[in-house]
Amino acid sequence: MFNVFYAELLKLKHSRMFWLVLVGALPANLITLFVMMPKVSMDGARVGVDMMYVFYRQGMMLVMMGPSMFTIMAAYIFAREYQERTINQLFSYPISRIRILAAKLSVVFALIAVTAALSSILALGVGVVQLIKQNAEWNTIWLGIRMNLMVIVLSFGTVPVAAAFGMAGKSVIPAAVVGSFATIVTVIGEIGHGRQSILFPWLTSYGPVRRMAQEIAQAGSNPYEPTAALILTVVFLVSLTYCLFHYVRTDVHSGS
Amino acid sequence: MSYVLRTRHLTKRYGQKAIVQDLNMNVRAGDIYGFLGQNGAGKTTTLRMIMGLIRPTAGEIEWFGEGRAGERARAFERVGAIIEYPGFYLNLSAADNLEIHRRLMGMGNKEAIDDVLTTVGLIGAKRQKVKSYSLGMKQRLGIARALLHHPELLILDEPTNGLDPGGIKEIRQLFLRLAKQRGITFIISSHLLSEIEQLATRVGIIHQGKLLEEIDYEALQRKSRRYLEIKVDDERRAAYILEQQLNASDYVAAGPGVLHLYEHLDRAADVNYTLATHGIGVKGIALSGDKLEDYFLKMTGGDPLV
Ligand SMILES: Nc1ncnc2c1ncn2[C@@H]1O[C@H](COP(=O)(O)OP(=O)(O)OP(=O)(O)O)[C@@H](O)[C@H]1O
Ligand SMILES: [Mg+2]
Repeated sequence: MFNVFYAELLKLKHSRMFWLVLVGALPANLITLFVMMPKVSMDGARVGVDMMYVFYRQGMMLVMMGPSMFTIMAAYIFAREYQERTINQLFSYPISRIRILAAKLSVVFALIAVTAALSSILALGVGVVQLIKQNAEWNTIWLGIRMNLMVIVLSFGTVPVAAAFGMAGKSVIPAAVVGSFATIVTVIGEIGHGRQSILFPWLTSYGPVRRMAQEIAQAGSNPYEPTAALILTVVFLVSLTYCLFHYVRTDVHSGS
Repeated sequence: MSYVLRTRHLTKRYGQKAIVQDLNMNVRAGDIYGFLGQNGAGKTTTLRMIMGLIRPTAGEIEWFGEGRAGERARAFERVGAIIEYPGFYLNLSAADNLEIHRRLMGMGNKEAIDDVLTTVGLIGAKRQKVKSYSLGMKQRLGIARALLHHPELLILDEPTNGLDPGGIKEIRQLFLRLAKQRGITFIISSHLLSEIEQLATRVGIIHQGKLLEEIDYEALQRKSRRYLEIKVDDERRAAYILEQQLNASDYVAAGPGVLHLYEHLDRAADVNYTLATHGIGVKGIALSGDKLEDYFLKMTGGDPLV
């Protein structure tokens, strides 16, 4: 199985994939830089860095970039086999198509994880400095890390949808349309800060980010979480089933 | 006789249209099997079914004489294939593409990559991205990939597509060498008779989805040889005279009063004169039979081949 995973990773060498990861990770770091700028309160005193706020902003940017970036990544990994006409070869290996599907999805998961890690690198750096200066508690840093881990897992929930569009459309374009649509909804949702917004599968990952917010209305725990988790699970399972069915059952005519 | 691959009543239908129909293909160990058919005859569709890329509507595939299904994954370890087009990851070098293949085949030694690249003459372009490869180079790289895991059977769908005449000759030499030295069995599809003419040991002719004939290349040649058809009153005496006077040995009595002479094709007048002067009544003499190309044309309904 490692060989299959490794082969999938190797396919991305010199590809544009790493630019996508960077594009996904960069805005969060820029906003972190901005949030860190020395602030002065009304009475002229300097205000320290609020780590909760830093992570909240970082998470906001990450889940804003996520839907489009992760959709394109997933769709590309599946669609390229048709576009570059390698699908005949790929399906002629003594490897079950289910394992190939699993390896591809694992690579997407890894890419999401790397994007989240890079996206939080500056925020974590600041956190460590604050920790050393004893301006922040470990507990706060852990909340930030946990938020990012949650975002990774929840973002993966819609990946099979992108994969399905990639393999059925045999091109990144249909998935990119879905991704842009999801992004628009996501951005509107995040700006509204509404608690229900996390019901939208591409916005479920906003849930853990929202928990870090302090100043918005009805911050803290969100009663829609169980429903959101259920919806995302259903979307995940249904689209994954479709992918399995499509990958395993469908006749393959390369590049046509 | 040990079979490397057999299909039994292999059929593919799209809707009402049968693209491949009741196809029984028998490939023996050591064959260079020329799978011959015009554009659209169903060659690629057949090979796709064999490689499990599309599902047959009916019929079975038997690998290495070992029953069906279940064994397919194991059989694939012993097969190298190029179906339709040699596709590669364009952002990667030739070496990286082969490395992916090596991993997916679960093979041990990395040196094999350089070996096959040398075999197909691409070692110099090893680090070059496949994006910059010409179609001919991709064909070679496809052959290299198909060879990497030391297959017993190579299935190649129009492997000389995109090669120049020099390249075609070179690849043909390579195939012959591989067949001889490593005992690899080949299935090579083509719409050009001339392409497999100097290569195939056995030929399967597919037309409109049906396998019209499966025949040893030599038998095909014999069938399609040209001869002088000589009509005489006494074929036995005529044969004797041909032997004595013209030193002929390659002839058959094709029926009462009919001889087929495969020699002296350009000497019909001499043959006539010799027979006549020895008292044989010659009623007719004519050049007959097919060139291989014509034979193939006739079999496939006279549509001209490219
Ligand atoms: N998915 C499909 N649906 C319907 N018809 C198809 C499909 N795939 C192939 N065909 C038809 O099947 C016929 C055989 O196609 P195939 O590709 O097997 O021919 P071929 O012998 O490989 O020809 P060529 O020499 O052009 O490669 C063609 O008429 C083609 O139009
Ligand atoms: Mg074809």
